[in-house]
Amino acid sequence: MGFFFHVGKYFELMLKVFTKPEKGIMYYRQTVREIEALGLNSVGIVFIISVFMGAVITLQTAYNTENPFLPSYLIGLGCRDSMILEFSSTMVALILAGKVGSNIASELGTMRVTEQIDALEIMGVNSASYLILPKIIACILIFPLLTLFSMIVGVAGGWLAVLFTHVITPTDFVYGIQYAFIPFYITYSVIKMVVFAFLITSISSYHGYYSYGGALEVGISSTRAVVHSSVFILLFNVILTQLILS
Amino acid sequence: MIEVVHVSKYFDNEPVLKDISVTFERGKTNLVIGQSGSGKTVLLKCIVGLLDVDEGDIIYDEVIFNKLNFGDKKSIRKEIGMLFQGGALFDSLTVEENIIYPMDMFTSMTTEEKIERANFCLKRVNMVNSNHLYPAELSGGMKKRVAIARAIALNPKYLFCDEPNSGLDPKTSIVIDNLIRELTEEFNMTTIVNTHDMNSVMEIGSKVVFIANGMKCWEGTNLEILHSDNQVLNDFIFANSLARHVKNTMKN
Repeated sequence: MGFFFHVGKYFELMLKVFTKPEKGIMYYRQTVREIEALGLNSVGIVFIISVFMGAVITLQTAYNTENPFLPSYLIGLGCRDSMILEFSSTMVALILAGKVGSNIASELGTMRVTEQIDALEIMGVNSASYLILPKIIACILIFPLLTLFSMIVGVAGGWLAVLFTHVITPTDFVYGIQYAFIPFYITYSVIKMVVFAFLITSISSYHGYYSYGGALEVGISSTRAVVHSSVFILLFNVILTQLILS
Repeated sequence: MIEVVHVSKYFDNEPVLKDISVTFERGKTNLVIGQSGSGKTVLLKCIVGLLDVDEGDIIYDEVIFNKLNFGDKKSIRKEIGMLFQGGALFDSLTVEENIIYPMDMFTSMTTEEKIERANFCLKRVNMVNSNHLYPAELSGGMKKRVAIARAIALNPKYLFCDEPNSGLDPKTSIVIDNLIRELTEEFNMTTIVNTHDMNSVMEIGSKVVFIANGMKCWEGTNLEILHSDNQVLNDFIFANSLARHVKNTMKN
């Protein structure tokens, strides 16, 4: 029953969120702020993780495919497809669920327990829409760009690994990342990230918005936001993969 | 004028407010007093619509507020200013931006007009030159004054204050109390203040409502309260030895 209670309450919140904004310009300004706070401030972590993951994927593929019958350029292909198909969307989404999800839940949770949300309501502002809608829009706009950025940086990380370790020649690696390239994989990855962006922001906002009590409860909401966002990212990863690639 | 008519509120079938009826008049500082947990804050939240009443009506100048839909409530809410216990200032905004926020949201004033109004409100609460400070840089009393400035930014008809003196020293409390009274008279607002501070009662209580265990036990003025023979009220007012000493001195 608890599960259905939360599902119902979540959709009720989303109905409040997706209503006509009271004053468009205020929502626009808030969205720009959120793009910076939630998106641009995540570029660093996406860069670091992607470059190292690209390098590790390349090295692991190289050390596990020491077969003379397999052409060495397949290592580049493996790095590229791993980054595009899974890492840059799903893994980056899981990382962002941790960073952005906990940020959203703790921000809204603190606003709730310090009565800032009540203050908005009393002024006549639709607090759910004003606080959550700009976050959803900002993440839906910026997360796919982070995915594209992660793909480029990840493949570059693989190339750097090749350059420094000489597991294969850089020429073979570059040939591999161009070999049998299917552009639709990028579309698939971006579609997944749009859905993940919505899941991360809406689920985290739900937990933050309905926080109560004090610091302890805000911490619990923040943890739940990350756990639930991660679980739903994995679930929707399976669903979307079946729907899009089948 | 705000009328509370036979209002009851339950949490998990437990009554928190029991059949409360009271009228809060315009231009007066109306105080709701009672022990912690007596239902004062729940009553205030029911009046402003943060909580739905289970029985009874909340009437704002002949409009039954609790029966309005969200959109219609908004028109009344724009005439409400509220001072929360902790101030509830928006952390990410400066003092000036906090005060300008309701104007940004609900008016078509120019930037200059908004800044002028913000400066007027800040001057009114003795907080000039604090425009660019963030809430984290303010003391408790300053936060309360900025919150009052934000509450009066749109010239509200109704002002609500939830424990305005909590966490403040007696001298700052008197400053806040006097400010609330002066603003109420100056802007002819209907003001409701939740408090358990007896200094506030004596300073500004033009009308005092005493609540105990979710029920209205007494109502009158700050002058009448000292001579009441209501035992529950007397137990609350004269709970400390200083108050008892004053009472005995007055009797003698």
